[in-house]
Amino acid sequence: METISLNDDLMAPNVISDPHGYYRTLREAEPIHWNARWGGWVLTGYNEVVEVLRDSLNFSSDRMGFLAQELTQEEQESIAPIFKILSYWMVFRDPPEHTALRMLLNKHFTPIAIERYRPMVRKIVQKTLDKVLAKGKIDFVKDFAYEVPMTVILELIGAPDLDTEKIKEWSEKLGVFFFIKADEPRRREIACEGINALVDYITPLIEQKRERPGIDLISLLLSAEEAGSITANDVLATCVLLVFGGHETTMNLIANGTMAFINHPDQWDKFQQKPELLKKAVEELLRYDGSVKSTVRWAKEDTQVGNTLIKKGDRLLVSLSGANRDPHQFTDPNGLDIERNPNLHVAFAHGIHVCLGASLARMEVEEAFAGLISRIQCPELVEGAQLEYYPSVVHRAIKELPVYIKPLIK
Amino acid sequence: MENIKVSVDLNKCVGSQLCIMFSPTVFERDGNGQSKIVNRNGANLAEILSTAEQCPQCAIKVENTQTGEVLFPPPELAF
Ligand code: HEM
Ligand code: SF4
Repeated sequence: METISLNDDLMAPNVISDPHGYYRTLREAEPIHWNARWGGWVLTGYNEVVEVLRDSLNFSSDRMGFLAQELTQEEQESIAPIFKILSYWMVFRDPPEHTALRMLLNKHFTPIAIERYRPMVRKIVQKTLDKVLAKGKIDFVKDFAYEVPMTVILELIGAPDLDTEKIKEWSEKLGVFFFIKADEPRRREIACEGINALVDYITPLIEQKRERPGIDLISLLLSAEEAGSITANDVLATCVLLVFGGHETTMNLIANGTMAFINHPDQWDKFQQKPELLKKAVEELLRYDGSVKSTVRWAKEDTQVGNTLIKKGDRLLVSLSGANRDPHQFTDPNGLDIERNPNLHVAFAHGIHVCLGASLARMEVEEAFAGLISRIQCPELVEGAQLEYYPSVVHRAIKELPVYIKPLIK
Repeated sequence: MENIKVSVDLNKCVGSQLCIMFSPTVFERDGNGQSKIVNRNGANLAEILSTAEQCPQCAIKVENTQTGEVLFPPPELAF
């Protein structure tokens, strides 16, 4: 008999290349597993994941608060620039502070509010398709998936002329902080460099908007600051969060979705025959290989989850990808089915922190795939291409996706 | 509000609690951390419609039971 040993190295090469296989092994053995190496619980069952995410009373998102408890004074000072910004990110705050910011911003990210950006996104998609069709052989990540999300988020904050290359570079540096990447000794310094550069770049923009307000999100945040409902720290931190969180995840989803179709050409064919499945198809891409694999919570009290007692202070790695392939919730969870319905996946999390940008990301990804299926054949991997994913516990991110793009012959 | 029906689709609700934040007199958390209607008359129609718009999942449906008209969500948003 084969013995299954539960590998606790969340960064092991096979876990990075095939997270779904790893989470499946965990889920089948222990949907709530104590990972001794990381020093926390890893949740891979749908019910357990949903229970924790919907319970913000017992499970905190206060990442910086809990981190401060673990670090010495000296260590804390070494990452002061990170504390200064990330402590104000709504994604890392609990109610009631979270509530005010979320209610303020949510109005501008509703499914209806986002529709006004659709024509703009459609145009960018068409322009990008012209370019990649002319090339024929492309890196799908850099040449296609990257274009839309970055342009849109800059438009939203009212700064279309910012240097996207620089923002991408700094965001990647800051991202090192989240990678739980123990083998990078300079990870804290790199992340500080990233955040300092982002702050230096965005601060003058905020000052500009203070003098000459527009109808953009920065101006909206500033008027809330004037009204006293949020602080100047909230304004700066939220701008950094939107720029940081607003492009990479969406780019990765477009790439992961395309990879899913490359492996399931029958679903691509069906999609081309039934383009009206667009919304359902995007939900399925989110479930099948979403771009955020996991998030973290901290127990505020002793709390029972499933059969397990989680102790106050324990941390939990909540595996969204694990939950999204749980056979108790989804029939044939490892199959791609663009007609799946219902499809209550957790790719944007559940509960009060459910992705603020969900409707925006959905609309962008809808437009990207509507454009793709209307103009090209299912992309083909370049022969001998070795797919590599960034070593991250959080992001599911392909480094490069070399493909051939051929026009659809109608 | 006689002819207005408000409902939450539990196959879509992700328990964001946004409807509860915006209209606490109408919506409440159920035992699974999703939303349920506690008092359909807890707010006027305009407020209920604007709260329904806040739902990231378009899980809140507002209907006129007399005419059968769906006041929210519009068909192009439903997924
Ligand atoms: C496919 C693309 C995306 C995915 C998979 C994704 C995923 C997520 C997830 C899982 C969370 C919850 C984190 C947690 O609970 O700990 C989240 C929160 C958040 N996301 Fe996204 N996201 C995407 C796109 C975006 C975009 C385009 C924006 C920018 C507008 C954005 C802004 C945010 C913000 C501000 C939060 C914090 C919300 C809160 O705390 O209330 N996301 N996202
Ligand atoms: S706003 Fe929508 S998703 Fe959030 S709790 Fe209410 S019904 Fe559920």
